[in-house]
Order: sequence, then structure tokens, then C-alpha cells
Amino acid sequence: MSNLREKLEPLLLKVQKPARYVGGEFNSVVKDKSKVKTRLALCFPDNYEIGMSHLGLKILYSLVNAREDCWAERVYAPWMDMEALMRENNIPLYGLESFDPLTDFDFLGFSLQYELSYTNILNMLDLGGVNPLAAERGNDDPIVWMGGPCAMNAEPLCDFADLVQLGEGEEIMLEMIDLYQKHKAAGNWDKQAFLRDAAQIPGMYVPSLYDVSYNEDGTIAAVTPKDGAPAKITKRICQDMDKAFYPETFVVPYTEVVHDRAVLEVMRGCIRGCRFCQAGFIYRPIRAKSPDVLCSQGKSLCETTGYEEMSLASLSTSDHPQVEEMLDKIIDYTLEEKINLSLPSLRVDNFSKELLDKVNKVRKTGLTFAPEAGTQRLRDVINKGVTEEEIMRTSRIAFEGGYTSVKLYFMMGLPTETEEDLLGITQLGQKIVDLYYSLPTKPKGKAVNVTISVSTFVPKPFTPFQWCAQDAYDQIVAKHDLLRRSLTTRKISLNYHEVKTSVLEGVLARGDRRLGKVIYTAWKKGCKFDSWEEFFDFDKWKEAMAENGLTMEFYANRERSPEEILPWDHIDVGVTKSFFLREYEKAKRAEITPNCKENCAGCGANKLIGGGRCIG
Amino acid sequence: MDNPKIIVVEGTPVYDIRAFYRKEGRAKYISHLDLYRTIQRSFQRSKLPIWFTQGFNPHIYLTFALPIALGYEGVEESFDFRLRENLPEEEILSRLNAALPEGIVISRIAAPQKKAEEIEKAEYSLLFSAKDIPAGKLLADFDAFLAQDAILTEKRTKKGPKEIDLKPGIFASKTGLSGDAVALEITLPAGIFQNINPTLLTDAFAAGKGIALDYRLIRRNAVLCKDGSRFA
Repeated sequence: MSNLREKLEPLLLKVQKPARYVGGEFNSVVKDKSKVKTRLALCFPDNYEIGMSHLGLKILYSLVNAREDCWAERVYAPWMDMEALMRENNIPLYGLESFDPLTDFDFLGFSLQYELSYTNILNMLDLGGVNPLAAERGNDDPIVWMGGPCAMNAEPLCDFADLVQLGEGEEIMLEMIDLYQKHKAAGNWDKQAFLRDAAQIPGMYVPSLYDVSYNEDGTIAAVTPKDGAPAKITKRICQDMDKAFYPETFVVPYTEVVHDRAVLEVMRGCIRGCRFCQAGFIYRPIRAKSPDVLCSQGKSLCETTGYEEMSLASLSTSDHPQVEEMLDKIIDYTLEEKINLSLPSLRVDNFSKELLDKVNKVRKTGLTFAPEAGTQRLRDVINKGVTEEEIMRTSRIAFEGGYTSVKLYFMMGLPTETEEDLLGITQLGQKIVDLYYSLPTKPKGKAVNVTISVSTFVPKPFTPFQWCAQDAYDQIVAKHDLLRRSLTTRKISLNYHEVKTSVLEGVLARGDRRLGKVIYTAWKKGCKFDSWEEFFDFDKWKEAMAENGLTMEFYANRERSPEEILPWDHIDVGVTKSFFLREYEKAKRAEITPNCKENCAGCGANKLIGGGRCIG
Repeated sequence: MDNPKIIVVEGTPVYDIRAFYRKEGRAKYISHLDLYRTIQRSFQRSKLPIWFTQGFNPHIYLTFALPIALGYEGVEESFDFRLRENLPEEEILSRLNAALPEGIVISRIAAPQKKAEEIEKAEYSLLFSAKDIPAGKLLADFDAFLAQDAILTEKRTKKGPKEIDLKPGIFASKTGLSGDAVALEITLPAGIFQNINPTLLTDAFAAGKGIALDYRLIRRNAVLCKDGSRFA
């Protein structure tokens, strides 16, 4: 193949897990580059194991490669050991299918899944020989485009992105490629002209076509579109999930990746409206696939990959409108084919004995609940419609069915949180332990194990808490101490996440364009793989903030007023700002909002499917 | 296939089959565990009537007499599997090969004749060089290294690192130059009782010299039994 591959060979035995860097996996798509018009690199700014687990890029990979005139390849961030050898030997970052450097591609698409992967984007571009700064890239350099959940507020990345795609990529990407090919075919390629036209594609955001001005206090004064770009950019969605493109097969990695299985996406959107949850709002409205479509997609995936495991992906699988029929059919298929079925996200409130029995038929995995808060009052504040009685009832059914361990997920630092709410976390754990020992059916000699995982709440754009102040570092540390001291039994194990990464996540999540310089400075100082605790260097980030005259407190720990222009106000995700504000006020009064099935709360997302009721 | 080896599991006959395969190209970067998974998935894709282990968590029955390390190519490697029904040899081969990823090719299948315990040694070919060291000098140094009375190195074992002498294990060795690399042909103990990989030897050499070797080739050519015959 190419020269690059020969240069790589002697290096590969010097790095961990060389299979990450060689491509050639079953079902990977290799085309003749002389026969395609447009080449795209689908880049995931984290390592191979994580990137290969991501469903969104698998969908786009198959979608683009289904077009004869395009070739999509995969690119992941090389691990530290490989990067060092690549830089030492002048090997640019390359596409896994062709071994061609990033500079050979028309488009470099980056998936924005979490804020702490941003420096990896800069690093990957640089390693591929592409200037991370959009303004310094030339007319013929690849076009850097970004998408994914964090693209809903891509402001901190505006210095680096040429294009930001808002919402689901299935349609918008093909339109973008068509427009690109049209411009290319017309001759006299002018990137700026292409970008101006791209801004007219619904859902395509071209950051360079917007001027942002600031007030003296650092808040935004105005966002002004130019060259005919729309004042508001509205997110794109697939209207009908049964008709949406879904891959018939996945690339099957040689080496084990995080989610190494057939993933069946059962629906998009969520009816719950938990007020802390960005995914619950930005993927609205709810759209489900029918059981028959799911069965045929699942069957195709398993048969063509040989995967022995399948999982159902959605924000809340048990809210699928035909969940029992769907599970019935899928479980029949997986049992017959000896495929393990795993159900990652389960709600407690519609978890019937019948459903649990069906799941039990397949395989026993852990039982997981996400009460998110320790008291009913705080659960009402965050609109997590889970009651203690429901948790106890489901735990009882599960224990009677032979389960001996329960995992509980909580957040700390939620708005209005008090000491009582925090102590409620361990108290709930203790009640589950007590329940287990009170049951006559408990297996002899088997101890119960309750795992409590506590993460730090980070306010996100496009949620009712987008105006909230995030707890400061010291406050969170004190809360951790309080929790740890409240533990009285070894039957409960308590885990929590690193606090410093949550601070930075909070800064970047609600950041504005001025943070571009901070990200650039941090990367220049050597920051990368920030989501990996062993590489995260908070001090460098603090320096980068200070050197650019900014503070973390401004972004993370400041309560915004409802009048303030938020950096993402020119983006329309469907759900309206007035709905978020209404929800915020209700949260402060600890008032709940029923889920979409029970009652439409008028969030506004229904306009994306042409109005009317989304579900129920 | 002709002359199948039939064993009876819980009253049902199953066909015991040994596949001989090549592991080459990009597939050499697969570790043993990953290869195991890769081949299991290939069986699923092939839709052959593969036999699953019985029990609470059934999985495809697959065993390797002599695992091959990451970075190694193999010419005549083997694994055993079972089918629920007898099929023509060509059909098994073609369906399985079509389902295998690049770099793993099954050359033949047969009923197993030998047991894994009969394996005694294996033959390897290596090509290696070192940055900034002329091949001739590297060869001379390596020959001197091999000529020592004892070649002591540390080997990782299940019970932790252990110092062993590699010298008595070397059945045969031949060195030479191949272009700008040192070529080594070597026969070393292999199997469940004692297994020495050739890179244990070359890495010990490199560590002693304080240099890093660039491996151009590491290949297992043959797996041999105590009676000198090939593992079959």
C-alpha cells in the first residue's frame, strides 16, 4: 500500500496494542481512491477503544460509504506512546483505511461527545499536518467540520471549526457533500464561497459568519450574522426513525474495544424531562423504531458481525412505546442464536415483574438505578420522577429474582441541594441493604452489595439549569467528605469522580468563543487526553485561563440572569428558551413536570416534526 | 469430511476438527485473546453448525494447542473446534475463510492426530536491525551473545518473574545477514511444559547492549512434536 504503512511497520511492535493503528478490520471499507470524488475522515478525539464504540460514527461511516462517489475512513487519537513515535519519525496522522495523511481528505469530521476531548481535536489536526486554527488554514486545506451533542454549544471551538452540524447527521451530511461536489465541479474552488452556501443548509452552522461582541462584564452584547447567514440555526432531525438510515453491519475490531457488540438504537429523544440532563432535551422529540424494524436491524448486525452480544441503545429503553413486544421478539431471537442481550438503561417506574422475568431469561447482569438525588424534594427539583417506594419495590422484585447487587447513580452539587439531600444518598443505600436482609428469600451466605456512584453536577446549555451556578471545587470536596463520613456499613461501596475535571467540563460546556484561545494555549502547554485522569493537568488549564485574562468562576460558578444573552442563544434545538425558564422556576419550587406520555408540557420540540403531539 | 473424528457429548455425536492457518500481514498484531475472539466471531458469521459448550453460559468451543504471541506471524498454526454435523471439507474451508478477517487464512482442516502435550519445540525466523548500528556489527555482537556459556534473563511466569538460562533450550540456531538486517533461524522449546519465545532471547540481547531492536519479521515456521514430526 502506501509509503506510510512501510514507515509504520517497525514502530508497531514498540507500542501498546498495535492493532489500534493498522486498520484491516472485518467490514472496514476500502475503496479505490481514484474512483471516488469526496473523501471524509471521521475523527473521534479519543483513543481507538472509545472511538470504535461510538454508534454515531458507525452510522455516518456506513451512510457515506454507501455512496459510490464518497469514501469515509476512521481516525482516532493515537495513544501517547504512538504519538511520540509518529512525531519522532515524521509520520502524519492517517486514515485507518488508506493510510493517507489527513491532508489528503476533503473533510475532517470530528465527533464532539464530551468537553474534555477538545484538546485532542487540536492535537489530531496538528499531528495530521493541518493547522488547528481555521483562520490560518488555506483555501485548499481540508474542511474541518464538527457535530455531536457538544456541537449544540460549539462556541469554544469556533476558532478551529469551519462547519458545525447541529443535530442528526443522516440527511445534512449528504446535503453538505452534494453542495461541496457542486462547488468543486464548478471549478475555481473558493472555500469561503462554499461555507457561505453551506450556511444556507438547514442545521449547518458556519461560525465564521457570526460576529460576537461582548459587554464590559464579559457577557455577550450581541451575535450578529453576516453574508446572509441565518440569525437562528435550527437543529436537524430524522422525522421517521423507521426510515432513517441504519448500518447493516459494523466494523468488527481485532482488539477489544469498550462497547464491543452489536448496538441496536431503539429510539431517539426522551420523554422524561429530567432537568439536569442535556441529552433529554437536545435529542427531542421522541421518535421510536417499530419492533419489526428493530428485529431486522438487530438480526442483520449480528449475522454480519458475528457479535455474540447485543445491546439496546436509547436514553430510556423501557419508555419505548411497544417495549414488551419489542423485548419479546428480540429476546426470542437472541436466545435462539445464543446472543447475550444487555439492556444498559432501565427505568424503575415501569419495570414490571413480567419484564424483569424476560430479561432474566437472557442473562443476569447488575441491577442499576439512577435516583440521581437522595431525597424526594431534590428529585422533584430535578424532575427525576422516581420515588423511593418504586426503588424499593423494584429492588424487592429483583432480590426475590436472585439479584444480590444493586448499583445506584447520584449527582451532587444539584441546585438547592442541602446536607439532608446528601445524607439521603447513603440513607437510601442503607434502606436497600436493610430490605435485602429482611427478605426470607435471600440466598444463604450471600451478602448484598450496594454500589453508590456519585458524579458532580455540571450545568449544561439547553437545560433548565443552564443559568445555574455550579458548585465550586471546595464545596464539592466538602460534600464528598460529608458523604464518606455518613457511611456506616461495608455493604455499601462509594465511588466518586475526580472533581477538577468537572470544573473544566463546566467551564467548557457553557463557554463562549473567548475560550478558543484558552483551549489553544492549554494544548500548546501539552494538554491532551484531558478526560483521562492520569493525563489531566488542571494547573496548565488554570494558567491558560489566566494568560488569556479569563476566570473559571465566570463560566462555571456564576448564576446568569434570565435576560443575559447566552453564548448558544442563536442555536435552536427545538425546545424553547421560555420553556427552559419555566422549568427552572418550577424547579426552584420543587414542582414536577409530568413526562411527555402523560401530558405535553409544550417544550416546543414538536415543531421539528411539524407540530402536534409527539407521543401518547 | 473424510475420516472424521467423532466424539459423543451427552449422547450426541460431534465432529472434532483441527484447522491449520496462516497468520500474516496486519493480523500479526492480534494478541492471542483477540485472535480467540476474532475466530469465534468468524464462526458465527460463517453460519457453520458450530458446537457450543454446554452449560449455563454456552460459548463456541475453540482451543489452541500453542498460542501465538502478538507481533508473530505463523505459517502452520492450529486451533480445534467442533461441528454438530459432518460437512465436506471444501465447504467448511470456504465458508470459514470467507468469514475470517484479512491476514488469517485456513490452509487445511483435518481430524486431530496429536495431543497438545506432544508438542516439544518450534522453529522461528527473525529479521531485526537496530538504528545507527551497522548490520555486520549487530550480527557479530549477537553471535557473541549466543556463544556465551549461559544466557540469563528474566521470564515472566504466573508466579512472578523468574531468572532462567536460555542457553540449554536452544535446539538449533543459525545467523546471517539479510540486506541491512540480521537474520536468525532458531529452534526453541515450545508447548505446555516449557515455552520460550525467540524475542525473549533477542530482547535479552538488546537489553544487555542497551539498544532497541527494530523487528522486520518474527515468524513461527513449524510446530514440532517430540518424535520430530510436525504437530498434526
